[in-house]
Amino acid sequence: MIEFINFYLFPALTIGSIYALGAVGISMIFGILRFAHFAHGDLMTLGTYGILAAAAILPVNPLLLIPFGMVLTIVSALLVDRLFYQPLRALPTIYTVISSFGIALVFRSLVQLIWGSENQVFSTGVKPPLVLFDTIRVSVLHLQAIVATAIIAVLLHFFLSRTRTGRSMRAVADDPELAEVSGLDTAKVVRWTWIIGAALAAIAGAFAALNTSAHPNLGWNLLLPMFAAAILGGIGKPMGAMAGGFLIGLAEELSSYHWIGDDALISPSYKTAVAFICMIALLIFRPQGLFKGRLL
Amino acid sequence: MRKLTTFVAAAALLGAGSAAFADDTKIGVLMDITGPIANFIPPLQNAANLAVKQVNDQGGLLGGTAVAVYGDTTGTAQGAVDAAQKLVNIENVPIVMGSLMSGTTIAAAEAAIIPAGVAQISPTATSPAMTDLQDDGLVFRIVPSDNYQGEILAKMVLADGLDKVALTYVNNDYGVGIGQTFQAAYEAAGGTITASNKHEEKKDSYRSELASLAKGEPQALVVIAYAGDSGGKIVRQAIEGGLFTKFVGTDGLRDELLIENVGADALKTSFFSSPTSPAENPAQKTLHDAFNAEYGEGADKAFVDQTYDATFLALLAIEKAGSTDRAAMAQALRDVAMAPGEKVGPGEWAKAVALLKEGKDIDYDGASGNAEFDANGDVGGYIGKFVVDGDGYKQVEIVE
Repeated sequence: MIEFINFYLFPALTIGSIYALGAVGISMIFGILRFAHFAHGDLMTLGTYGILAAAAILPVNPLLLIPFGMVLTIVSALLVDRLFYQPLRALPTIYTVISSFGIALVFRSLVQLIWGSENQVFSTGVKPPLVLFDTIRVSVLHLQAIVATAIIAVLLHFFLSRTRTGRSMRAVADDPELAEVSGLDTAKVVRWTWIIGAALAAIAGAFAALNTSAHPNLGWNLLLPMFAAAILGGIGKPMGAMAGGFLIGLAEELSSYHWIGDDALISPSYKTAVAFICMIALLIFRPQGLFKGRLL
Repeated sequence: MRKLTTFVAAAALLGAGSAAFADDTKIGVLMDITGPIANFIPPLQNAANLAVKQVNDQGGLLGGTAVAVYGDTTGTAQGAVDAAQKLVNIENVPIVMGSLMSGTTIAAAEAAIIPAGVAQISPTATSPAMTDLQDDGLVFRIVPSDNYQGEILAKMVLADGLDKVALTYVNNDYGVGIGQTFQAAYEAAGGTITASNKHEEKKDSYRSELASLAKGEPQALVVIAYAGDSGGKIVRQAIEGGLFTKFVGTDGLRDELLIENVGADALKTSFFSSPTSPAENPAQKTLHDAFNAEYGEGADKAFVDQTYDATFLALLAIEKAGSTDRAAMAQALRDVAMAPGEKVGPGEWAKAVALLKEGKDIDYDGASGNAEFDANGDVGGYIGKFVVDGDGYKQVEIVE
């Protein structure tokens, strides 16, 4: 049981947090701007390197430097939207989707150009885990990631349900034409979508890089499970994307626990596949996703 | 106007790769510049560039200038095929040096380089699958096969007093090749593998794999994976979880990045195997002096010797063939690399060219070994045992 908590549950929740934070942006952009944003993973990478750059100058806990990464991703996202996505908005969305593929490559190449293609670590050495009640061993970073994601989920919920901007965002996601004729400021909604998506991407990137190491393919490698999480939760439903992220993370890690007998239930080599089977199964029985998102 | 600028920028980018003059002779250099072994690459690019520079300083290739054209495999099979296609079909190189990972080397060879009839020489691809490649005699390597490293590693582990270990290897040509040879050799020599599993690259957490590997009280964990990807994460997460304290790795894990990642203290008892050069090899000293004179430092980094030798051999083969005729390259490469012939060492380009002009046979003996190919294009070699020393690695023993 202790082994389950230490080596399966906490890591699963951490991976889930990273997926959840990334998936929120993907889901909101999908819901409000109506296209699959393939550059989201690389936006995460960009944020990570922004933090890394700040860490080279300021020797404090990298978590305190996350705002630097957030500023970098927000500015980049708004700039890219203005220069590359907005001119294509009147065309069929496939143009924007392909354009976002290009932007993904641009982000990755910029990171390679500026920071190099090597793996970089935030700090050398292994930190001893936190030991609770003499038995539960949990890495401090994992605890920070899980708690931070929980707080963000609560704040996001209040933002979307209590503030005027948040409510406008939900309205545009649910029915863009109706929102437009009711006089909602769509440009403002679009701006806030990017700001929130990009800020959360920077946080997700920071946790992913702290958990392992920073490299230019960091975000790209996470893109597929994050899309799975967004679709699982329901397109355009940020809370759904959060839940989807945790579900995908839990499904991946827990499928290899030895539930029956002494052997792993499913060989860890196949854990990515498990997450996708969950997503496909859910889509067959409930195509709108967990939280009644848009039908694609 | 914006369109025009974009066009000019795109044209400039395309042109940069192919700006060649009439007298230039191109040689393809395929490397995994990005991806899991990116940290190994900068000194290796220097090694390849050094060989090309020495050639140009000493009279040039085929009377003109030698130019290295790089292709980046991105560390993936698909990227390797794309980069190799570009080298053989657009750049029209007669011979390709590279690449470094077994997976990318085999993918590039099978999908692009062999079909084009181009010879290929890899400095570091160690997978046993290379031996049996259907390559029409076109693919060579100057590093011993993992069948060899796996067997030596098994001996090394037993000699260290470890008779119960857990094994994990990455699911690609490199990991599966060396992992399975190790397992067979270790068990045949009386060792016990308590648990073994194959893992996928590019995951963030290997804790569930590690939890099952730790069962059965193994004395150490044998990790056959790259430090820049799964290997480094596995070692770090094993230490964080308090599951293993002693690790045994191969050349893929023997990366300074690993020390940077987990710290030298945590690796005090661990050791690593890696192809190395024979002790007291004067050719190696010649190369290292030339390398450090040119770049200041880095001659002792992993695979510098092999990369330099492979590049120099490829250049010698073009000179020997006397033209950029692809069909002549494989035979020319065997001619310049293998005995009999007058001995030529690193940097001795002018001497080699003079001998070839006189119609004499030459035999290149490099910094990494004497490059005597067998029928499959493989070589025998030396495996070193390395331990962590400060923020680098120190060779403590050589096994032949």
